[in-house]
Amino acid sequence: MHGYAPTAKVDVDATHRYGQLVVHEQLKFSVAANEFICICGPSGCGKTTLLDMLAGILKPSQGHVLIDGIQANPKQQSISFVFQEPSTFPWLTVRENVATGLKINGARREEIEAKVGDIIRIVGLIGFEGYYPHQISGGMKQRVAIARAFATDADLILMDEPFVSLDQPTRERMQREVLDIWRHRKRTVIFVTHNLEEAVYLADRVLILSVKPARIVADLPVPLPHPRDPLSAEFTEIRSECVRLLHAPEGGDAPPFGSI
Amino acid sequence: MAVTSKVAADRAESPGSASRSFNVGVWNVVSLAIALGIWQVGATLVASPFFPTPIKVVEAFIQLATRGDTTGHSLLAHAWASIERVLVGFGLGVLLGVPLGLLMGLYPKLYAGTRSVIEPFRFIPPIAWIPLAIIFFTGLTRFAFLIFLGAFFPIFTSTLVGVARVEPIHRKVGVVHGASKFWILRNVVVPTVMPDILAGMRVGLGTAWLTIVAAELAGGISTGLGRMMTNYAELLMVPHVIVGMLLIGLIGFLMNEVLLLIEKRLFRWRWQVSL
Repeated sequence: MHGYAPTAKVDVDATHRYGQLVVHEQLKFSVAANEFICICGPSGCGKTTLLDMLAGILKPSQGHVLIDGIQANPKQQSISFVFQEPSTFPWLTVRENVATGLKINGARREEIEAKVGDIIRIVGLIGFEGYYPHQISGGMKQRVAIARAFATDADLILMDEPFVSLDQPTRERMQREVLDIWRHRKRTVIFVTHNLEEAVYLADRVLILSVKPARIVADLPVPLPHPRDPLSAEFTEIRSECVRLLHAPEGGDAPPFGSI
Repeated sequence: MAVTSKVAADRAESPGSASRSFNVGVWNVVSLAIALGIWQVGATLVASPFFPTPIKVVEAFIQLATRGDTTGHSLLAHAWASIERVLVGFGLGVLLGVPLGLLMGLYPKLYAGTRSVIEPFRFIPPIAWIPLAIIFFTGLTRFAFLIFLGAFFPIFTSTLVGVARVEPIHRKVGVVHGASKFWILRNVVVPTVMPDILAGMRVGLGTAWLTIVAAELAGGISTGLGRMMTNYAELLMVPHVIVGMLLIGLIGFLMNEVLLLIEKRLFRWRWQVSL
């Protein structure tokens, strides 16, 4: 049961349109504190719009996006974002990059040092603090971006297909690492992905969106303990259910999903 | 510190390392020697008082440096007069070119709406301003104005172009964390544009030296390397003219090296510093 409790960390009930184009039609869901949810949807389901609304940099045409009961606003709440494309600052060292969010939030120097040191240890970047992004691998750069997001006391961490550009082994390792960081530093995470296996591997709950105008077509809890085995019967069953729901035709063609 | 040395070690293994810079030094000495040799041979063959040998030029240099010129001004006084003018005019170019470039880069409509005013000025050579400069300004102000005109546009234009290079994703990192516009300017825009600003400054410095000699020919002053050269040209004393030429080349070269040094320090985060 995931009712829209008043204590919800994140509460979305939004309709958004650009001119005539309805991107989201009464998109409704809520996320509990420290919950890890994955949102999956076909290409063109308006995930960028949804993430921008959650980050508070875009207001829905109708309805609301609330974080702790107030309108999402990056100047008021602490929101972190891990982007799909490389987003580290090339002119800052690993340590300075990780400290960025804390510095914007006006944290004291000792606090920054302690928190940055901590998170660098957790993401396994010890020894690379003084390196510049061009000196480390793509996977490490993405780890820096993840560390930057988890270093702040973010009310909400948004992750936009953060592993899509990584090769398969690195991707699998990063998935394990994110779960590990999340276990150490409990935060509310909304993770967008096109990869259903990734979603079932990571999430407490998987939300499946339809094509535009996007609505939630399914809200599936994943009651499996970590670490999950993608080859186990329970895992496969949930994943198949996701595939079925994603492909369920609702007056349109089933969207192609090559990666499954 | 272990990290720094590791980075240094990485550098040493990559091309452009210490062993190559040693070769570069040697090659520069060799090419300098060859150039002087060709000059010496050419001058000896031509054997004209208007084509002096390097030795004649060195003699002229020693004379100017120790006893001053025909008007009693020392070589140092001439050189310093020109350097001061270049620094003031160039400094004004940086002080106005960078903020204006940033402003118009950040608000492209501002630039688009004023293009017809700004752009034609870019094509008026600083030398063409000399008549007006003589009428309106005197002394240091006159030179500073002319050199400013030469230095401003390279700096302004490359800053303007640099702002367009700011990655939207870097801006968004600031925005989603709730950063102010000033924070983004200071921590995202300026670091991105910095290499372009420095590149513009090096071009601007070249234009500044280009302008100074012409400006000093305009008269009304008794010092400056350009002035000194014109005086000696009128006397047909070519070695002394060449001293002025070489000194301008040398001072410009040294100033450019200083800018390159700053660039190398500021942009350790880049793969390499472009020339």
